[in-house]
Amino acid sequence: MADRARRWVPPLVAVVLVLAAWQVFTVLSGVDRWLLPSPADIVAAGVADHASLARHTVATVRLTLIGFTAGVGTGLLVAVVLHVVPVLRAAVYPLLVVSQNIPTIALAPLLVVWLGFGILPKIIVIVLVCFFPVAVATLDGLSRTDPVTTNYLRMSGADRRQLFTKLEFPNALPSVFSGLKIAATYSVFGAIISEWLGSDQGIGRYMIIQKSAFRADRMFVSIAIVVLISLLVFGAVALLERILVRGRPKRT
Amino acid sequence: MADPSALEIGGVAKSFGSLHVVEDVSLRVGKGEFVSIVGPSGGGKSTLFHIVGGLLTPDRGTVTIDGHDAVGRRGLIGYMPQQPALLPWRTVEDNIVLAREIAGEPRRASRELARRWLARAGLDGFADAYPHTLSGGMQQRASFLRALLSDHEVLLLDEPFSALDAILRTDMHRWLLDIWEENRRSILFITHNVEEALLLSSTVYVLTARPARVLERVEVPFPRPRPDELVDEPEFVRLRRRLTHLLKNDARHAI
Repeated sequence: MADRARRWVPPLVAVVLVLAAWQVFTVLSGVDRWLLPSPADIVAAGVADHASLARHTVATVRLTLIGFTAGVGTGLLVAVVLHVVPVLRAAVYPLLVVSQNIPTIALAPLLVVWLGFGILPKIIVIVLVCFFPVAVATLDGLSRTDPVTTNYLRMSGADRRQLFTKLEFPNALPSVFSGLKIAATYSVFGAIISEWLGSDQGIGRYMIIQKSAFRADRMFVSIAIVVLISLLVFGAVALLERILVRGRPKRT
Repeated sequence: MADPSALEIGGVAKSFGSLHVVEDVSLRVGKGEFVSIVGPSGGGKSTLFHIVGGLLTPDRGTVTIDGHDAVGRRGLIGYMPQQPALLPWRTVEDNIVLAREIAGEPRRASRELARRWLARAGLDGFADAYPHTLSGGMQQRASFLRALLSDHEVLLLDEPFSALDAILRTDMHRWLLDIWEENRRSILFITHNVEEALLLSSTVYVLTARPARVLERVEVPFPRPRPDELVDEPEFVRLRRRLTHLLKNDARHAI
C-alpha cells in the first residue's frame, strides 16, 4: 500500500501545483478570461452545461468502445492468421508496416465520402488506428516463444492448436497487453477525430461547436473529458491485464 | 537381457546438409532399465533425443518404442529438457499435468495424481506456487514429475542436472534414484558427466564427438540401491577412469 502511495503521490502533487499556478496566473495577470479561462472557470462551465455534456460523452464512450473492440478483434485476428501461416506473414507484414505511413486522418474524409455520416465510417477509422499496435505487439509476442519449451510440447505430442492455446498465446499475453494499452488511448483519439469530421453528437462534435462560438472554457471541459475517457479505457485494460497475466511472464 | 525392450535405436544416422551429426548409433533400453549416454557437449546427443522424440526424422535407421515403429512419431515418450522449461503462468500443479492434458486425460484424475506425486517428491505445499518462486533444484523436480506423469514407459532426460552446483546435483541424484526405484520406468539419460552416468545407470553408452557413434557399451555392475560412498570404491574409480580416458582419447582424435 505504501508502495502504491509513493508512486501516485508525486504526479498528483505535480498536477495540483500546475492547476494552482494556472489559477494564480489568470487572476494576477489579468489575461482575458474568454481566451484563457482559469481552472475554476472551466469547472463552472462544465457544471453549467452538464446535461448537454453528458449526452455527448455517452455518445463518444459508446463509439470508442465499439471501435476499440472491433479494432482489437481485427488486430488479434490478423496477428494469429499471420503467425499460423508463415508465408502470409512474410508477404503481408512488410506491407502492414509501410501502410502505417498513411496518416489515418487523411483517410477519414474519404471514408465519409464512401460511407456517409453514420457510425460505420467512424468505427473503421478507430479500427484503422487500433489494429496496428495490437497486431504488431501480438505477432511479436507470438514469435518470442521459448524454443526449448516448444520442443518439450511437441515431443509430448502437442498438435498445432494445442501448441498455440497452451504455449504461444499465453506466452504472448504480456505483449498483447502492451499493444492493447496503446490501442486504448488511440481509440479515444480516433473517436474524437471521426466526430470532428462529421457527426451530430459526441465530444468531438461538441468541440467543433464550441470552437465556432469561441468558448475556450468549454473547449477545456471537452479536453478534460477526453483525457478522462482515455484514462478509463486504459485503466480497464490495465485491470484486465492484472487479472489475466499470472505468474511472472518470461521475457526474453 | 531377457526383459523386453522399451526403446531400441538401430543404426540411426542424421545429417544437416554436409554436417554429419549422428552416424550409425544403435542402443537399447530394457523395460525398467536406467541407461545413460555419455558424450562430449555439443555432440549429437540432443539430436538423437529429437529423433527418438519424433521431432526429427533420421536419414537412416529405426526407432522402436514398446515394440512399435516410432520414427517421426511424437507423443510416445516422457521428456525432461535441459532447462526446466516450465510454463511461468501456470502453477506447479498445472505444469506437471501438462503432458496428460495434451494427451487428453481427464483433468480431475491428473490433479489427484499430481498432488500425490508432489507430496512424494518433496514439493508438497508448492502445488499452487508459480515456478519463478521455486529454486532451480525444485524447478527440475517439477520438470521431472511432468515427464513422469506423462504415463509413458520411456523417459528421456536431457542433461537435466548440468546447470546445478555439485552439492545440489548429488541431492538430485539421490532424489531421482529414490523416485525411480519406486516405479521403475525405462530411462534414457543424457549427460557429459561420467560419474553421474555410472552412479545412476545399469548401462552406459559412450558416444564420440560429432558425428556421434557408439564408442563403447559398458555394463555397470553395482547393485542397487547404491550408496553415496560408491564413488570412492576402487571398482567405481577404475570404471570412471576408463570412461574418462575413452572420452579424452576421442576428443584428441577429433582435434
